[in-house]
Amino acid sequence: MYRQTKDPAAQDPGWVDDVLFAGRPTDVCLRLPEPVDRATLHRLVTEAQARLVAAGLRPGGAAALRLPPSLSYVVNLLATWRSGGQAVLLDHRLTDHEVDRALRRLTPQVVVAPVRTGGGALKVFVDVTERVTGYADRPAVSGHAVIQLSSGSTGPSKVIGRTAADLVAEVERYTRIDGVALPGERIILLPSMVHVLGLVGGLLYGLHARVELVPPERLGGDAVLAAIAAQDTPATVLGVPFHIGLLASTRPDRPLPQFTRMTTGGELVPPAVVQAFTDRHGVPLGNMYGMTEVGVIGTDLHGSHRPAIAPAPGIEVRESDGELLISCPASPYVGLSDPDRWADGWLRTRDAGTVDPVTGLVTVRGRLDSQVSVGGLKVDLTEVEATLTGLPGVAAAVVTYDDGITAYVQPDGPLSGDALDRLLAERLAGYKRPRTLHLVAQLPRTTTGKLVRSLDVLRTAAP
Amino acid sequence: MSGQPDLGRADLVSMLAELTGKPVEQVPHRVGSMELAWLVHLVEQRYGTQMDLTDDQLAGIRTVDDALTVFHTCLPASADG
Repeated sequence: MYRQTKDPAAQDPGWVDDVLFAGRPTDVCLRLPEPVDRATLHRLVTEAQARLVAAGLRPGGAAALRLPPSLSYVVNLLATWRSGGQAVLLDHRLTDHEVDRALRRLTPQVVVAPVRTGGGALKVFVDVTERVTGYADRPAVSGHAVIQLSSGSTGPSKVIGRTAADLVAEVERYTRIDGVALPGERIILLPSMVHVLGLVGGLLYGLHARVELVPPERLGGDAVLAAIAAQDTPATVLGVPFHIGLLASTRPDRPLPQFTRMTTGGELVPPAVVQAFTDRHGVPLGNMYGMTEVGVIGTDLHGSHRPAIAPAPGIEVRESDGELLISCPASPYVGLSDPDRWADGWLRTRDAGTVDPVTGLVTVRGRLDSQVSVGGLKVDLTEVEATLTGLPGVAAAVVTYDDGITAYVQPDGPLSGDALDRLLAERLAGYKRPRTLHLVAQLPRTTTGKLVRSLDVLRTAAP
Repeated sequence: MSGQPDLGRADLVSMLAELTGKPVEQVPHRVGSMELAWLVHLVEQRYGTQMDLTDDQLAGIRTVDDALTVFHTCLPASADG
């Protein structure tokens, strides 16, 4: 059963200047690698506001940002907020099909998208020339400052909104966590700023705390170490577990005393990976646990509680029937809310876990539903399965996680793997698509006709 | 043999096995952007060089075999080739 939740009111845009632009004009905010100081960023944001307004953005309206990580993204995000608008963040890897569906639902007044991107392959930050186009003449669907989409079926609980006050509270939470980068230091930023870790833990915290944000020149171990070495100030590498492997397999060509720590969010990291990283670099490997809905929930930035984490200041975590619940005063879901996900100030994480009654430390033990993590990005297998099942030529499909997204597909006629690939590529972002696709004449079913999901049975059906 | 770098399909598969923790015979032949970044990283380490890949080249890589073909165009030929 779904019920209407109270829609939050939009907040005065003054919070952007108060919280994010409060430092000295000469403070370097970003190194791309050319330094971008606060005065320059402020000027770029002001100019972008004029373009957004000219294209139709009004206070209380929304701007959809379909931009890869770039200065353009940062500028248009801050400009949207400073204009009193809501930012709808669309991962640039989403297909036209996925984006069209989101735009129809969220009715932004303007859409910001690249007309040209450049800079080369495997770039962490790209050069973007953007265009702002009008889309709909309607107010935003809610008073949230930011809207993020979580992988899922088309259920109403998957559009996640966060208010300006909530974002500011999370930034404040970061300032009280022992082990985060401090004013004057640097964050070597690897996660996408469209998603919560890179957005709040990187961009917003960095702007607020006067921490320089440094995306490496490209995605590779050598480039990350070069970014650390480029300045003498202490550097924290922020990433997801995949990035640990890149660094663990890269030998520095000089001592890096400024390398302070690496912190990752996302899935659990195997002990062997931790060992390989610390053996090579001799710095702490910190761990964070968070969700799009609430941001950072807990941390172990010194690597001293692994795999457990300590709840972040102001966050309460409790265990209910083996599931972790997080204190969350208002439903983060836009419009209709499913009480199975949020009720009475508590958010159900769908993560299995325990809370130590003495120390309060939280141990996450894995998902209770069909959500998996691919390079730190959340993918709901039900979305992949529903998309596959809806394709022409597919009679039935089962999608599992078998050290990677794995699909078993029963065609209802002639259907090649390549044809299936092409159809999927039009509908699902690359990170959501199966790494392994098995075409089988007949999917295994129970005696009552339900599809069998046991990995052993499926592997036997498609040897 | 001449003109081919000293890099074979088996090398790429074993690099992916290292990433995924799977036995080589279970490594999927499809690669996504994360697997591709990993392969580029390890191949560049092995040859001590940066491959001059374009966005279009990377976008066209969907399988281990595609990756091998593209990498061969960017790497020096083997010394005994």
